[in-house]
Amino acid sequence: MPAIIRPAPPFSHRNWQLAPGLVFSGLILLLMGSGLLALILRTESGPAELWQSPYLQGVIRFTAWQATLSVLGSLLIAVPVARALVRNPGFPGRSALLRLMELSLVMPTIVAVSGLVAVYGRNGWLADAAEWAGGSLPWNLYGITGILLAHIFFNAPLAARVMVQTLERIPVNQRRAASQLGLGSWQLWRVLDWPALRPVLPGLAALVFSLCFTSFAIVVTLGGGPGATTIEVAIYQALRFEFDFNRAALLACVQLLICGGLWWLVFRGNRHQTVLPDQSSSADTASPRADSAGWRRITDRVLIGLFTLFLALPVLAIALRGIPWLAGELANPRLALWGATLRSLAIALPAGFLAVAITLTLLAATNVLKPGLPRSLASVSGYLPLIVPPIVLGTGLFLLIQPRLGIQGYGLLVVSLINSLMALPFTLQVLRGPFQASGTSTLRVADQLDIRGWYRWRWLQWPRLKRPTALALGYGITLSMGDFGVIALFGSPAQPTLPMLLHQQLGSYQVAAATGTACWLLVIIAAIFILLSRPGRLPHRTPATHTGVTQTGVPHA
Amino acid sequence: MLEIDDLLFRYPGQPAETTGWRFKVSIQEGECVALTGPSGCGKSTLLNLVAGFLTPAGGDIRWQGQSLGPLPPWERPVTTVFQEQNLFDHLTVAENIGLGLHPGLGLSKTQWSQIKAALEGVNLGGFGNRKAENLSGGQRQRVAVVRALLRPQPILLLDEPMTGLDDENRAILQGQLQQARHQGKTLVLVSHDSRDRQALADREVTDFYHAW
Repeated sequence: MPAIIRPAPPFSHRNWQLAPGLVFSGLILLLMGSGLLALILRTESGPAELWQSPYLQGVIRFTAWQATLSVLGSLLIAVPVARALVRNPGFPGRSALLRLMELSLVMPTIVAVSGLVAVYGRNGWLADAAEWAGGSLPWNLYGITGILLAHIFFNAPLAARVMVQTLERIPVNQRRAASQLGLGSWQLWRVLDWPALRPVLPGLAALVFSLCFTSFAIVVTLGGGPGATTIEVAIYQALRFEFDFNRAALLACVQLLICGGLWWLVFRGNRHQTVLPDQSSSADTASPRADSAGWRRITDRVLIGLFTLFLALPVLAIALRGIPWLAGELANPRLALWGATLRSLAIALPAGFLAVAITLTLLAATNVLKPGLPRSLASVSGYLPLIVPPIVLGTGLFLLIQPRLGIQGYGLLVVSLINSLMALPFTLQVLRGPFQASGTSTLRVADQLDIRGWYRWRWLQWPRLKRPTALALGYGITLSMGDFGVIALFGSPAQPTLPMLLHQQLGSYQVAAATGTACWLLVIIAAIFILLSRPGRLPHRTPATHTGVTQTGVPHA
Repeated sequence: MLEIDDLLFRYPGQPAETTGWRFKVSIQEGECVALTGPSGCGKSTLLNLVAGFLTPAGGDIRWQGQSLGPLPPWERPVTTVFQEQNLFDHLTVAENIGLGLHPGLGLSKTQWSQIKAALEGVNLGGFGNRKAENLSGGQRQRVAVVRALLRPQPILLLDEPMTGLDDENRAILQGQLQQARHQGKTLVLVSHDSRDRQALADREVTDFYHAW
């Protein structure tokens, strides 16, 4: 009798791992497909308007122009900042700065805009300072200046964070050898830094470009007017104000072609590497670089200091101006803020949970599948939202279900759904590593011991996934909390979410109320992350309680 | 008897003209056989084939006359002890062993105390509630063998289980494996260290692999 017969573990059939992921990825593809189809069917007059309308040409040109400038600006700032941070591993406050740089991943764009307005705007801190000195601000925040500033505010830290990570992954021995040879800054760049950064740059540039190309909240708040309108904003205006579905569909197709083409170029050359920061960090501080001494020490500190100010000032402005307003208004039960908070949570909580659920099922399915078409589809479907911008997807769905939009709450459901899809690239990034962390031998042991199905999830996967899942959930919820693009399309101005309310307040120059709302949104997001990081701490408490063994490994008598 | 009968294997993804293996060996029940040969001759590959981690291209594996070929790893009458990574780091020692008795840790009180007693037998009394990640390499291997011995599976596949351990741990492990033989388990040992082979093996087999 060779086999030891025992009932199979619950849910151990392969289909339990396969089916949910395949269903979800099928639904995503269907949703995207039908959205795009609805768009294409709508462009009845053909693309002729594209080369006949100077307005459309202007919009497309401006979109590409500002995105290009934003990429250049972000990368040109990120490279020296990243190198300065790598040169100074012992810099006091370095980890706090790295945290601050990650903030741009979760800070809603519209919140950042209100912070930037509070610092650089007409009534902002700098204007006050300039007036005190007897002058006036040499710039106007509204227009290309503000758009570029906001885009760099978001993308320079993101790019610098990825670059720091990339530079820290240079093998320790290479770094030690360079240190021993006493290579100077230029040689280090040629020998270590550039070869490490080169493979990351195309993907990073493409990411920043498409983020800026499809940027909505920033442009709709700081831009506007025919001279500073991007495709996304033009789509939004065509749909909401001019009811020109043909033009919206046309613009959406152009945007899709450009973004899709860009990502296709990057992926085709297989030159993409991790373009989103992960949780790892290098502990090697043992190889000082020859270019970290002398006068560079001072320039590095100045550079890092300026960059910190650049990132911290808007957040500080929100906090310092927002908290007093909030404190004064907290007791007001009829404040628009409360209703907006409830609506935001009603959209964001389901979106976050759905995003995490879809992510886990997609990962489970790709784990079981052998390389081939279904597996590629399952793994690509989670990244599609990066290529198909939410407003394009939203436009398609808007056209599909537009007759039924009158039904109460229907729009919010769609917003929640699209938001969860938008979060997928981020939640996938967080969970993919931990999900696939088990090595071959661990998996073999688990197979041999029959730890499959529910048991594998319960004993082997969940304990390792608890913390990353909470983090992914945090990302999912906050991305949706901060969404302004999709909600602008489907929401009603009379019933705003927090970002909509903030936008309305910024638009009517209620600066105090706007910073208050921005501050409140940041407080909620911080609370969500603090709340979600709690379950992760529990396991640390257990070992101390019941080991019954001293630290030397000698059992107690 | 464990019969490896003209078992054919080639690692996937390699060109067809690469030489693969043809394995042939018979092992009596209750015997301890050491597979020896130069590195790369296919010792570990054979153990992984017997365990069902790799799929052969042809031939058969039989235990007591019945083919193991169609069985997945979890239904085969074998327990493998690898050189390392036998334990799940985030779980306690007792949980690691318990998972070998029931894959969902649905254990009776008797079984838990059985685990406790077995740990005391290898000088690891009181280690049950420790996380596996806090153990030394030798302690981890002892736990892995405790788990293998508590499982009812009659065949032990030992893939360099004592490599890299100090003499004290080696002695304890050898004692454990002797105990396994007294229980009537069949042992297939792969070890590059001749001391282990001499201490444990009834015979050494060198002609188990052929080119295919």
